[in-house]
Amino acid sequence: MEGRLANAWRLTVNDKNFIKTALLSEIRIDGRKPFEYRKISIKFGREDGSSEVQLGQTRVISIVTAQLVQPYRDRPKEGMLSIFTEFSPMADPSFEPGRPGELAVELGRIIDRGLRESRAVDTESLCILAGKFVWAVRIDIHILDNGGNLVDAANIAALASLLTFRRPECSLGGEDGQEVIVHPPEIREPLPLMVHHLPIAITFGFFNNESILLIDPTHNEEAVMNGRMTTTVNANGDICAIQKGGGEGVPQRVIMQCLQLATSKAASITKQIKDAVEAFNTERALRKIKRHPTSTGVDVREKQNQ
Amino acid sequence: MENKQSSSPASFIGSTVIPGDVVLDLSSMANQTIKLGDGLREDRDAISAMKAGTLRCKKPNKYRIESCQKRYVPCAGDTVLGIVVDSKRDDFLIDIKGPALAFLPVLAFEGGTRRNIPKFEVGTLLYLRVVKAKFGMNPELSCTDAHGKAAEFGLLKDGYMFETSTGLSRKLLSSPTCPVLESLGKKLPFEIAVGLNGRVWVNAASPHTIIAAANAIMNSES
Repeated sequence: MEGRLANAWRLTVNDKNFIKTALLSEIRIDGRKPFEYRKISIKFGREDGSSEVQLGQTRVISIVTAQLVQPYRDRPKEGMLSIFTEFSPMADPSFEPGRPGELAVELGRIIDRGLRESRAVDTESLCILAGKFVWAVRIDIHILDNGGNLVDAANIAALASLLTFRRPECSLGGEDGQEVIVHPPEIREPLPLMVHHLPIAITFGFFNNESILLIDPTHNEEAVMNGRMTTTVNANGDICAIQKGGGEGVPQRVIMQCLQLATSKAASITKQIKDAVEAFNTERALRKIKRHPTSTGVDVREKQNQ
Repeated sequence: MENKQSSSPASFIGSTVIPGDVVLDLSSMANQTIKLGDGLREDRDAISAMKAGTLRCKKPNKYRIESCQKRYVPCAGDTVLGIVVDSKRDDFLIDIKGPALAFLPVLAFEGGTRRNIPKFEVGTLLYLRVVKAKFGMNPELSCTDAHGKAAEFGLLKDGYMFETSTGLSRKLLSSPTCPVLESLGKKLPFEIAVGLNGRVWVNAASPHTIIAAANAIMNSES
């Protein structure tokens, strides 16, 4: 028991007071302004549908997989989307292995609501044979390092991996047309998912003093702040979901201010995700061209250098 | 135990050693008392290294291995920054980033008696000296220097505390003054307390100065 006490991360009284004092002068301990986001870096793995997002010190991995299953009886023409979160103990001393804690479940729910309720992912296009076979898409989110604001980072990772995921193409066959043939990726090019828009989660932190409001809290700020709110908006200005996780009560005009701020941030983050995905797709296409040894392909880059 | 037997101990001082390296040959140094610090072990006739790092020697006869890491191994005589975790009847429990919590006796203050025991709430930051630290035992701390005077130890008010690696905190405390502190000091007025356990406390008049100084020190270790 004492060993665990010795390893826990602690916040001093000095830091608590200093974070609040600094915020009154509109500056945060890492030098950011109250409404400034940390640097977001989006990287992709070799396989389709895996992404790693780094938001300051926070690191999150997201992997998307799909499986053919029987649909729910009351929704025979829709595919399924499910989100699983894993808070690895290497991310934070307070994360325990095993059953997901409250924070893990809340994070999963926020991302799930943002994607499902707003119909960002088209589930009807996932139906292959109504009532018999649909694709069930599963998103696994692993938290590698907790530097604060896990929700936003996990959301960006989930979106990036959804955009780069490719599911195998399948066609109906068999004697009565009731069998589904799944084509391997070497024979038929796998298809991307239909994603209509990108719901971006933006988290705000509230303090006792009404005039202090910040966006994208770090680990220290999360320990000190009195209330949090995550708004999921997309670049078009639609509000997909709002989650206020307990804490201080907040007047209505502050919530409206947050929503306006979130919409402007969402536009820039959406652009960043789309640029990263496009770079990945270009690189993927180039890799495919190089894979065919029989074709006398011309290396375009070499020609340009000559 | 064959391999390298150095002819003189001076050849290894200041150079990097790895676990298993024989750094001192005792058979050539008779009638000398040698104090072994962190990372060294007595192995029959020789002293060998137990961890990777640089071998340092403090005159006249103290040897230890210095390496840069995030964890702190408590060592007697170090000055550290501790956070109060709990207060008991006879001592305070302090977290100094080591493998175990440390004890600060309630009377270990200048002029400390049972009547004027200071009240520290949980989360208070203190500048302390490590009195005793043996492997397996909880370290013992004190708020006075070896002669019993207060000498800057004790409560640190306001300011901002951040964590660094042990290598950076040693560099900040080295003499002559570390270049980071010197150039910062020319531009910004601030006060600083450095703990060898990888904790640094900075205080200044305005939050901007504190944040600038803290970030500069954190980024100086790239």
